[in-house]
Amino acid sequence: MKVRIVLLVLVLALVAAACGGDEGDGGDGAAVENPERIAYLINGSLGDQSFYDSGQVGIDRLEEDFGLETRTIENGFDNAKFEASLQAAVNYADLIFVISYGFEDLLIRYAEDNPDKLFVNIDTVVEAGTGNIVSIDYLEEEGAYLAGVLAASLTTDESVEGTNPDPAIGAVAGDESPAIKAFTDAYTVGAKSVSDDIEVEIVTIGTFEDSGKGKQAALQLYDGGADIVFQIAAAAGLGVLEAAEERGLYAIGVDSNQNPLQPGHVVASEIKDVGRSIYEAHERAIGDGFDDSEILTPGLEEGIIDLTFDDNEDVVPQEIVDQVGQARQGIIDGDIAVTG
Amino acid sequence: MITGLLNSMLASATPILLASLGGAFTYHCDVFNIAMEGMLLAGAFGAVAVGFATGSWLAAIGGGILAAAILGFLFVVFAVWLDADEFVTGIALNLLALGTTTYLLRQWYGVKGAFDDPSLPAIPDVDLPWLEPIPVIGPVLSGRNLLVWVGLFAAVATWWVVQRSRYGLRLRAAGFNPPALEASGGSVARVRAIALVACSVTCGMGGAFLSLGYLTLFNENMSAGRGWIALAAVILVRGSAPGIVAISLLFGFADGLGLQLQTRYGLAPQFTAMAPYLATLFVLFFYARRKLGESP
Repeated sequence: MKVRIVLLVLVLALVAAACGGDEGDGGDGAAVENPERIAYLINGSLGDQSFYDSGQVGIDRLEEDFGLETRTIENGFDNAKFEASLQAAVNYADLIFVISYGFEDLLIRYAEDNPDKLFVNIDTVVEAGTGNIVSIDYLEEEGAYLAGVLAASLTTDESVEGTNPDPAIGAVAGDESPAIKAFTDAYTVGAKSVSDDIEVEIVTIGTFEDSGKGKQAALQLYDGGADIVFQIAAAAGLGVLEAAEERGLYAIGVDSNQNPLQPGHVVASEIKDVGRSIYEAHERAIGDGFDDSEILTPGLEEGIIDLTFDDNEDVVPQEIVDQVGQARQGIIDGDIAVTG
Repeated sequence: MITGLLNSMLASATPILLASLGGAFTYHCDVFNIAMEGMLLAGAFGAVAVGFATGSWLAAIGGGILAAAILGFLFVVFAVWLDADEFVTGIALNLLALGTTTYLLRQWYGVKGAFDDPSLPAIPDVDLPWLEPIPVIGPVLSGRNLLVWVGLFAAVATWWVVQRSRYGLRLRAAGFNPPALEASGGSVARVRAIALVACSVTCGMGGAFLSLGYLTLFNENMSAGRGWIALAAVILVRGSAPGIVAISLLFGFADGLGLQLQTRYGLAPQFTAMAPYLATLFVLFFYARRKLGESP
């Protein structure tokens, strides 16, 4: 008897849950045109002082300017959490920003099941024909090219304090991925555009979190003759900036302005204004709307990618700043191909 | 290049060395202590928290030790006094350390991921000007962080305490034959509790080295598995202090060499990341073979 009652209760609970689910999923079909709630889904964690945090700035601005409800879901690089967080995002929001790799296949599935929601996929490209996925693929290689021009010019300029005559520069990458490869390739092409003799050494540390490892790799590059190292490793890259300070040499930051973190040693930062692109994507979503599987490619021209010298204590000679400025204009005008 | 490699060897060996020396104490008294990962992380956070509040690196080291000792105390309460399963206790403590440090990072400093403040005090380096003219040795030994020296000194101290002191005898008895120790009037629980305190002290210093010695910041999960490597090292060399020094240095050397091989010979990063583990396995193989030859 007891067993039956338990079973009955269970069945009732299941039915109730199923009904509840239906109600939640129903929603109004026009949600995309006028989203009230926004979810921001990150494959990693906030606090990298760059990529993810920059996106959060855009989300915060949307909350302020449009009175939207927003929620950020962090996954801490745990793939097993992706599906649950995507489900949570879909239950909660009408417009969903998904940041970075690892979500692609799930995203297509959830987009098919939820045709009334709009998904903005950031930093990778998804073309599924579901009618509600838009991708933002940053032309970060344009900024990386400028970083290469800057690094090569600095290491060959004898007036810069602390540099050696060795024309070597370095980069510390967090992992091997198409996005990272776009960075390192353009960095190399940019450096070689200054002089063919420049030697570019790239170390991949296999982590975006272990800042000790980032520092170790950077110290090796500096000790091997590199005067300037470009960090492409999120929080692990903070160790690269520390290494620059310790050796009295230079580093280039990434994704947000990291120049003030080690004053006088971070000569520039490649900035990727993820926040602004999120803000503008929302503008488009409530305005003209998007085409199916549209791929936005913001870069130097849109001002979303750039190399900033702000707060760098003016360690870069003016003629090098101008040289970088010329390269920037060349890319915008289409005269320079950053992929070589 | 060789100096650079040796420098990076000492830096990446030190947290592992300090943690494994603590692990040697618990190894000898037969406590399966897997909480070193959590103790390192707690130590790194405690050092940053106290360092930020007081501005003193000495107090910061104390803070690191204190934070690790909180975990050590919990381990004693559950695994020694209440006789709970050591493995389960250890896992719980590791998760507790990760969760608490992440939570406090957000709660106290309003940041997520990493805390990097210019007012954080760095643990000083020790310059030895009289050594510097000597090639290779000079630049490698001079200018090392204070805690690198503490780690090497702790190795000597650990060896002496475990092998030569009265406490060491009881420690080994607690592992080898607990009833005999109890029968001769010693307390196994007390010996084990003291071993865990010693482990907290060294792990706290190892953590402080990570956050304020080698770097000057704290980031989430910054121990990054070093406590587990320490555990493996202790088991590999069966808690012998000289063995721990050797294996930590080997591991640190291979770690740096791995990165070096990438730039010099263009080896794939996935492969070079294995270098320290391969080197350790390689050594273990010969070590085990030699042991095999010795046994009757």
